[in-house]
Amino acid sequence: MSIIQVKGLDYQVGDQIILQNISFDINQGDYVALLGPNGGGKTTLIKLLLGLIVPNRGEIEILNTNQKKFTKCNKIGYVPQNVSLFDNSFPLSVYETVSLGLAGKKSWFSFLTAKEKTQIEEAMETASILDLKDKNLSELSGGQRQRVMIARALVSQPEILILDEPSTGVDIVTQKKFYQFLKNLNKERKLTIVFITHDLGVIADDVNYVLAVNQKLIFAGTAQEMLSCESVSELYGTKSHVVHHHCRGHEC
Amino acid sequence: MLEIFDYDFMQRAFVVGIALSILTALLGSFIVLKRYAMLPDALSHIALLGVGIGLVTHSSPIYMPIVVAVVAGVAIEYLRYKKKLYSDAILSIFLSGALAMAVVLINLSDGFNASLFSYLFGSITAVSDEEMILTLIFTAFALSILIGSYRQMLFVTLDEETAQASGIKVFLLNIILVVLSAVTVALAMRIVGILLIGALMVLPISTALLYKENFFKTVLMAIIFSFTSVISGLFISFYLGISSGAAVVLVALLFFILSLFINL
Repeated sequence: MSIIQVKGLDYQVGDQIILQNISFDINQGDYVALLGPNGGGKTTLIKLLLGLIVPNRGEIEILNTNQKKFTKCNKIGYVPQNVSLFDNSFPLSVYETVSLGLAGKKSWFSFLTAKEKTQIEEAMETASILDLKDKNLSELSGGQRQRVMIARALVSQPEILILDEPSTGVDIVTQKKFYQFLKNLNKERKLTIVFITHDLGVIADDVNYVLAVNQKLIFAGTAQEMLSCESVSELYGTKSHVVHHHCRGHEC
Repeated sequence: MLEIFDYDFMQRAFVVGIALSILTALLGSFIVLKRYAMLPDALSHIALLGVGIGLVTHSSPIYMPIVVAVVAGVAIEYLRYKKKLYSDAILSIFLSGALAMAVVLINLSDGFNASLFSYLFGSITAVSDEEMILTLIFTAFALSILIGSYRQMLFVTLDEETAQASGIKVFLLNIILVVLSAVTVALAMRIVGILLIGALMVLPISTALLYKENFFKTVLMAIIFSFTSVISGLFISFYLGISSGAAVVLVALLFFILSLFINL
């Protein structure tokens, strides 16, 4: 069942075309990597999906509702870019940060209910950060902060999770663990996940759908189909050679 | 009972001071964490423009600064959020522009006198009954808004974009914060002074941040620092005969310096 539908999307700022004629469908339970060069329009596409900016042309449907009329914001969890580079002087505990994920659907002058407190604990448990709940964000590593932001996005029990370059600023081992964690979320919770990455090699065996964008939609299909020299060359506008390492399932 | 409380003007100064110490600490917490610490300074200079307009037009010295500060505050936030202009540049333009206009108006009204000095540096004798009642009503209103929306306000302070994506009305909350700050600055200028109100909003939270606690404890500490600074400052002002604003800010500065050493 299609959960996100994008049809003929154009977005430009002044005379500069950022995205042109983008169309694709994402189904419920898909685990989607959004690829493309810097300045190719990936973050803009995410912002359009979230309704943070409005397209010049085209339609976006989220959960069968036009984005312009979409009000169930708690059904989409969002993890922004550079969470590992968080301002260290901001005084916020892990628990306080995760509880902010409920702020969008809470009305003013209302306290957290017992059910919502349970949701917060569950989100922290899912992200394996329950033992860190009283720590300040400034005391955490980049990888731990990523998980805190994921927990914040999960606390409102979304159907779609969108992440903008979640692996920026963390080492390769933490990246692998993080993508494994996302894969588990996708499988166990049937959560639709869309994330921006530059590193197709790290996630090629995990995602079931790849969207490659460079102003236009260059490619939509499986990671294996994407990993052809032609697609990668077209996406990055330079001659590319793809080297396959068949070492899945053991140390390499 | 202490002799200081025999005087009506000191009773009013303490009532207004206590109310404003809590409110400025809470507002200052959001403002400083938004990296918007120049806002109170800009608003206080804009309030001085309101004083100038009041002198020229012979209108209320209480309400005109409030109206002018609120209108300018909304304009500042509109230019920052909607037009994406640099916030420090906008604040600098409004601050210097308002100050220049205020000086011209005060020149025209021949108003450079002791009364103006009390606006600049604060005076414990300056608070009237009307201002005290207005301050108490506004403080109750502003505190209820800030406490009622604190979770949304905190999310916006931390990350405007993600807050907007989660359905929070970011621009509305920013406007509320700026308007509450504008009215607070205009009310506080009589007791703390236009040139020093910015420090009262920024110093307590900056001191509390040195202790690296969570948000709730940090704000609570900021309120305690602010409250203690105002009470001590008013006592010092009364017994040493110095400007109340200067005394309050110097105590707040002392807390900051001591905390800096404690947390080295």
